[in-house]
Amino acid sequence: MEEDSKPLLDSVRRESYTDRGSTDSLDRRRPFHVEHRNIVEDDPSERVSAEASVLSSRVHYYSRLTASSDRLLSPPDHVIPCPEEIYVYSPLGMAFKVTGGDGGSKKGIPPLSFAIWNTMMGTSILSIPWGIKQAGFTLGIILLISMGLLTLYCCLRVLKSPKSIPYVDTSDWEFPDVCKYYFGKFGQWSSLLFSMVSLIGAMVVYWVLMSNFLFNTGKFIYNYAHNVSMSDTEFGTNGSERVICPFPDTGDHGGNCSSGISALYLSSSNNNNYYYYGNDTSGTALFDRWWSKTNTIPFYLIILLLPLLNFRSASFFARFTFLGTISVVYLIILVTLKAIRLGFHLEFHWLDSTHFYVPEFRLLFPQLTGVLTLAFFIHNCIITLMKSNKHQENKVRDLSVAYLLVGLTYLYVGVLIFAAFPSPPLSKDCIEPNFLDNFPSSDVLVFVARTCLLFQMTTVYPLLGYLVRVQVMSQVFGKHYPSP
Amino acid sequence: MSSTAMKKKVLLMGKSGSGKTSMRSIIFANYIARDTRRLGATIDVEHSHVRFLGNLVLNLWDCGGQDTFMENYFTSQRDNIFRNVEVLIYVFDVESRELEKDMHYYQSCLEAILQNSPDAKVFCLVHKMDLVQEDQRDLIFKEREEDLRRLSRPLACTCFRTSIWDETLYKAWSSIVYQLIPNVQQLETNLRNFAQIIEADEVLLFERATFLVISHYQCKEQRDAHRFEKISNIIKQFKLSCSKLAASFQSMEVRNSNFAAFIDVFTSNTYVMVIMSDPSIPSAATLINIRNARKHFEKLERLDGPKHSLTMRMR
Repeated sequence: MEEDSKPLLDSVRRESYTDRGSTDSLDRRRPFHVEHRNIVEDDPSERVSAEASVLSSRVHYYSRLTASSDRLLSPPDHVIPCPEEIYVYSPLGMAFKVTGGDGGSKKGIPPLSFAIWNTMMGTSILSIPWGIKQAGFTLGIILLISMGLLTLYCCLRVLKSPKSIPYVDTSDWEFPDVCKYYFGKFGQWSSLLFSMVSLIGAMVVYWVLMSNFLFNTGKFIYNYAHNVSMSDTEFGTNGSERVICPFPDTGDHGGNCSSGISALYLSSSNNNNYYYYGNDTSGTALFDRWWSKTNTIPFYLIILLLPLLNFRSASFFARFTFLGTISVVYLIILVTLKAIRLGFHLEFHWLDSTHFYVPEFRLLFPQLTGVLTLAFFIHNCIITLMKSNKHQENKVRDLSVAYLLVGLTYLYVGVLIFAAFPSPPLSKDCIEPNFLDNFPSSDVLVFVARTCLLFQMTTVYPLLGYLVRVQVMSQVFGKHYPSP
Repeated sequence: MSSTAMKKKVLLMGKSGSGKTSMRSIIFANYIARDTRRLGATIDVEHSHVRFLGNLVLNLWDCGGQDTFMENYFTSQRDNIFRNVEVLIYVFDVESRELEKDMHYYQSCLEAILQNSPDAKVFCLVHKMDLVQEDQRDLIFKEREEDLRRLSRPLACTCFRTSIWDETLYKAWSSIVYQLIPNVQQLETNLRNFAQIIEADEVLLFERATFLVISHYQCKEQRDAHRFEKISNIIKQFKLSCSKLAASFQSMEVRNSNFAAFIDVFTSNTYVMVIMSDPSIPSAATLINIRNARKHFEKLERLDGPKHSLTMRMR
């Protein structure tokens, strides 16, 4: 009896059973969707077979029963009808057949790489030109490439770390769990601490940048409405493409301030000493008192952001991630336009500093490496992000492509802004830690960029706050949302 | 009174990895908890107090996780597990490589059932049939069924072949539930009369917890043979959404220019769905009809109720 049944079963299509309950066959399931049929009309042309229709109903129902990353109830390839039976319905009412062939080798950028690029691209892009200036042009480029490779290697090690733990099912472990396994309680608390540091640091940076953008947006609108011109008061270039230097007198102010954040505040404190030529000087002085980058706007932000931070779940804000992509793309376009209009101003002085240029190799390069470690930081969530990919080779490839894209984006923005900065009238030292500060409030393109970024940050800030709150509350109170 | 106080069990047993959790989740519309997959070598026991057909409680057990551990647990807790069992559903994984061991555990369960609940009904599900090639499915299932029938004597077992990716799972569980409803034949005849009186196109009777169609009446041929499963899936999805808001689903009316469909609570174990294709009949009329029919059917159940518990006490 048993010998008869065994050969029949051997011809069955199957994959090896790795973990119990798993029926994963291939890492890429064929996509399957069936249009809802209009059940009342007598439609003579049956486009969808009954089996496909009921399978679609099952797939919809089963997908409600598990988490989206759980593959337990997703249909294996052999139950999905063959491509000849699948029609794709276009919104114009036509239906055409799927031409078969699986989603094997995709040409172009894999979608997972794009998701990682989207997550990694943050506000660091605004500081890369300043970082390159601090390290020197050549050294800056070398550092950017080597830091990218180093962080990529670390990320790959983080990704592989759960796999090398024997005898334990690590399929839903994140990096802090791995640290806890190897280092015990110390590992768990230290990884939590560092994760907190980076999150809270990011929140502080966001607050500073949002104050900056809100201030400039308000100023632009006010100046536009009251016809105030500020062109004679700021030190900058003449002509249509104006670039300003908020700190003309402190020659080497890179040496005075040790971090980007204090530089941001230093530059902003200067903004209160402007003289205006305009119709309504007393009005503008009053406006300046109540709309000051350092004194009042950070408090106005509290009114804007405090309600958003109190949401129980942050899933509403997660829908706005497309704003980040749009902002980055717009910044790239903006940088290209400015570079075209300003032209290149590069001179290579290797170790000596001149009045307008900076040496190619400077001792302040640690400031660039500091910016870059956060610019390339995704190690705390990379395992979760890459969960959908089963094969290790695909993960390595996708991650490398993502890092390459991120590195190229940063390099492009940094090099172009640095090279296009008009050096004969202004010194390269004038490049601000937020390069948008180098453009006057009246610049329309930059105004649009600031507004986009302001919107995007307003939607990301509650997400950061939610992450901090969840981590702190679950460690201290044991619940995510402690309530009486 | 005694029948409601006495909770009888439905045991869902089988080797670990045979698909019991997925099956239970699909039939009863529960979310699959992540933790049950992480338990690893420990015994996976779930006591879910799903009110299933009045006073039945579903228990899910893993058999054969780790051999020696399993043996000890089985012998010491046996009476506890197998007492008061109304139904035993045993799940076999069709592509299991250890047929001898599977049969061995099945027999141990049967012995325990014979000792503790000799009147329990036994169902065997040969699961994951989608992994077998189509032309060999009937053959393999017939072989298994013969073996199981032979092994189960003197108990009588009913065998089904199932897969979560076709209609066989739904049909198997519908048959199981059909056999468990105490007065189902009477319900069916009365249902036909009811449908003819109110001039409905189709009337369906669902089990309350699982929305499995246990009986239906249709006055003409319908196009879609899979409509029962689709309706169950849709309603279960809706129930899931309702439970997220801590609301419970009670009734629904869907109406357009061509038809009107009413879903409502019927008896203590069932829901009813009435489909009228005559749009001129107002909703209120149909709803009154359903309400009056409900009283009649509840009386039917109560008539059988005490008789049912009496026979159980006499065992």
